[in-house]
Amino acid sequence: MKIYIYGIIDFNDNLNNSIKGLGDRYVYNIPYQDIGVVVSNLPEQVLGKIDSDYVIEHEKVLESLMEGFSVLPMRFLTVFDTKENLISMVRYYYNDFKNNLDRLYGKVELGVKVIWPGESIRENIINLYAGNSQKIRISGNSQAMDYVTDKFQEYKTDKAFEEEANSRIKDIDRFFNNFVVEKRLEKLKSQNLLLNASYLVEKEKQEDFKEAFEHLRNVPGNFKYLLSGPWPPYNFVLLSKKSHTFNNLDKTDIFDRILNTKT
Amino acid sequence: MSLNKIVETDSPANFIEEMEKAQSILPEKIDANPKNVEKGLAKLVLTLVELIRKLLEKQAMRRVDANSLSDEEVERIGETLMKLENKMKELKGVFGLKDEELNLNLGPLGDLM
Amino acid sequence: MSLIVQAHGHLIIFVKKMNDVIAKSKDITLLEILDRALEKGIVISGDVVISVADVDLVYLGLKVLLSSVETMENLRGAPIEGAMQEPT
Repeated sequence: MKIYIYGIIDFNDNLNNSIKGLGDRYVYNIPYQDIGVVVSNLPEQVLGKIDSDYVIEHEKVLESLMEGFSVLPMRFLTVFDTKENLISMVRYYYNDFKNNLDRLYGKVELGVKVIWPGESIRENIINLYAGNSQKIRISGNSQAMDYVTDKFQEYKTDKAFEEEANSRIKDIDRFFNNFVVEKRLEKLKSQNLLLNASYLVEKEKQEDFKEAFEHLRNVPGNFKYLLSGPWPPYNFVLLSKKSHTFNNLDKTDIFDRILNTKT
Repeated sequence: MSLNKIVETDSPANFIEEMEKAQSILPEKIDANPKNVEKGLAKLVLTLVELIRKLLEKQAMRRVDANSLSDEEVERIGETLMKLENKMKELKGVFGLKDEELNLNLGPLGDLM
Repeated sequence: MSLIVQAHGHLIIFVKKMNDVIAKSKDITLLEILDRALEKGIVISGDVVISVADVDLVYLGLKVLLSSVETMENLRGAPIEGAMQEPT
């Protein structure tokens, strides 16, 4: 029997069997000082059947917790062998957890993604440069010079492309500034995925944020927009302490069971 | 699924497509099987060499852009970069590695390439 | 520059793109969940990490786990329960 962790909450009392988690087990709270670790017992046979449905179960638990508490979500499939090791982990990170719980209290994460016609924008830039002949002065035609010219052209194109992306992202971000406490912007995750943004928003400001999204959506053009949430603050937990391997942190065993590997 | 999440978009299919594309190419199978250890190590080493090569290339281009190089310097840099790239191609060939295989997911820094 | 490879436990980790998991789902909500729950949040486990001068360069996240299960199912042509062999 392993212990599966969903997250950390600012509460050190019982949850009274109000929430069910993975493998239909009740979720319970393990207190540590003034905070708690929300867990459930994970039977061995569940480990062999881990699939994406379980990620949904994981998220459902967090959603329920979000209603009443400040929650720091755990990454999916964080499993401990014993309660003792779990407690030593919480002890190690207590200050980090406490700081994050305080900082993130009353706030949720909202996600915004934007698709732009990256391919055609890049094409336009390439044509611009090709026509404009942004060649460096070449004295003495040589293979090396040709090589540099090509690389330079690539470089200029990439640079212009990024600058265009940055400029558009700034415009988009401006819609949300007034309602946002913190943000994480991921630019150009792929050529067409211009922006993958996570915004930390106070619970009461969610409607304002959504309204701002509607305004953004109505901007004329061929960009595509996506809004999702509210999420527990996956993208806003900051751990100051370095990663530390705790005894019996059960990653190996999980892999073993699922892959039946032999070394 | 009874999650109370809103996911609002006019184009779910586009986003699914883009997120599929954007999923980082994970590093190769790290295999304890001795006959593959060599290839695994080669990949690691070559990936790092490629990282350095790309950084050098980018730095060179910045200087070309800033016009801070003489013609001879540009010529020399061109030659060096060219040789580096050809050497990398050769090494990739020796170990049977493709460009995509030398990609690294740098966590919060995104992908190497 | 020192290259440190920290291996947590067994090294045989079958890696595949998460594309397969996503392609099967074709569900944008699930995708949004996976985008967060698989890599973000509190991350405390010992993945395989490659560090260069104390900077973590790469880690194999839990995407690996889900991908591998799916892949195994594909290769065997049946959903998996219990232990299975890694194909050679």
